[in-house]
Amino acid sequence: MWRWLSEALAVAAKDLRTEFRTRVALNSLGLFALTVLAAVSYTVGPYRITAEDRPFLLAVLLWIIVFFAALAGLDRSFVKEEESHTAPLLRLAASPHAVWFGKLIYNLCLIYALMAMLVPLYCILMGYKIVLLQSFVITLVLGGYTLAVVTTIIAAIIARAMTRGALFSVLSLPLLLPLMIFLIQGTTGAAEGTPETVTNTIRAVLSMGGIMTIVSGALFPVVWSD
Amino acid sequence: MRVSKILKVLLLVWLAAVIVAAFFYVHAAEGFIGESSRIVFFHVPMAWIAVLAFLVSCIASVMYLRRRDPKDDIRASVSAGLGLLFAVLATTTGAVFAKIMWGAYWNWDPRQTSITILLLIYAAYLALRGAVDDPERRASLSAVYAILAFVTVPFLVFVVPRIYWSLHPDTIINTRGANEFDSRYTQVLLASVLGFTGLYLWLYTIGCRIETIRQRRRQEVLDV
Repeated sequence: MWRWLSEALAVAAKDLRTEFRTRVALNSLGLFALTVLAAVSYTVGPYRITAEDRPFLLAVLLWIIVFFAALAGLDRSFVKEEESHTAPLLRLAASPHAVWFGKLIYNLCLIYALMAMLVPLYCILMGYKIVLLQSFVITLVLGGYTLAVVTTIIAAIIARAMTRGALFSVLSLPLLLPLMIFLIQGTTGAAEGTPETVTNTIRAVLSMGGIMTIVSGALFPVVWSD
Repeated sequence: MRVSKILKVLLLVWLAAVIVAAFFYVHAAEGFIGESSRIVFFHVPMAWIAVLAFLVSCIASVMYLRRRDPKDDIRASVSAGLGLLFAVLATTTGAVFAKIMWGAYWNWDPRQTSITILLLIYAAYLALRGAVDDPERRASLSAVYAILAFVTVPFLVFVVPRIYWSLHPDTIINTRGANEFDSRYTQVLLASVLGFTGLYLWLYTIGCRIETIRQRRRQEVLDV
């Protein structure tokens, strides 16, 4: 168990070290999010949406930016192993489950870094007021986790396919759409101050994240070793 | 061979009888505009078969990962394709009902949203199959995706419609666990579900045979 965990942490540390050296994924995610935020802030701005529509419409825009930014860079975790021909070595060095968990930690770090930069900036630029701050943070954390779980296994799948570019978004987005619906609902609830809506969302996101974790973890060795 | 021919004729007679019964045996239900309630005999079986086909695809994918038999991969892909076809038919019949009852073919009702996402997921499954050349790798990667895809089905069918308010009439398995159809409606609906399930099985068998022949031919060409 401890060996498995140390292998996973080593994989994550290796990926983070490589990432800080080149900053390919961080730049893709961050710059995509900032550019879209600038475009949204310029075209929509804080006052063009009526007060009653703000909680919902601003939640929609926030999650669209987060999801599309994530899709712009999270496939790197596995694609770079295939492109640099380091995947066979990684197969020898660590067990498939350790690789999966290490890559998941790496993707989680990227998503949480993106959220830490984007969400406060979005709230300031768009004038998005959150009534239930704690619930909002829980929604972000759980949403980020489920997003990372789904994108990690899809990144592993597309790294083994021929056409990688568009395929990541094509395969990930349909699976992520239910999650996006739940998160928009929960964020709207946090902005409006309706704890019941947030609780329902947290339940749905938790169950989706849990099921996806179990299924992805169980299926990853097939994708990685075949 | 003779048994399959008899079954085919029986299926055709059965489906013809269901169509006649849908229009002449039951009366139009109260609370619905005109004859729109009769669409339930076609819409519900289509939705049921779409979910059944996706379930079969998921089971065949699990079987492939366990046994590595190429026939299981064929079963999974054929069933996913049929599921997609029946999901399109369920969407179309639902849109016709929506136009009559609510005045618009499409209004992003939670049920419509759910089925659209399902269509996108299984279209992505077929896109993945087209993106991998090596047959074994294609089979294992698409088996993994088919299982992941089926995991989202309960969320789309049960969770999303309960989070958002929906115009969609109560499903047969409603929250109260009660069947609110009268006996004639129940009889025709069950007969329709049975008939269309037979049609799915027939198409599934033909699809698997065609795909097996196609793969054998491809292998023969490669061997030459």
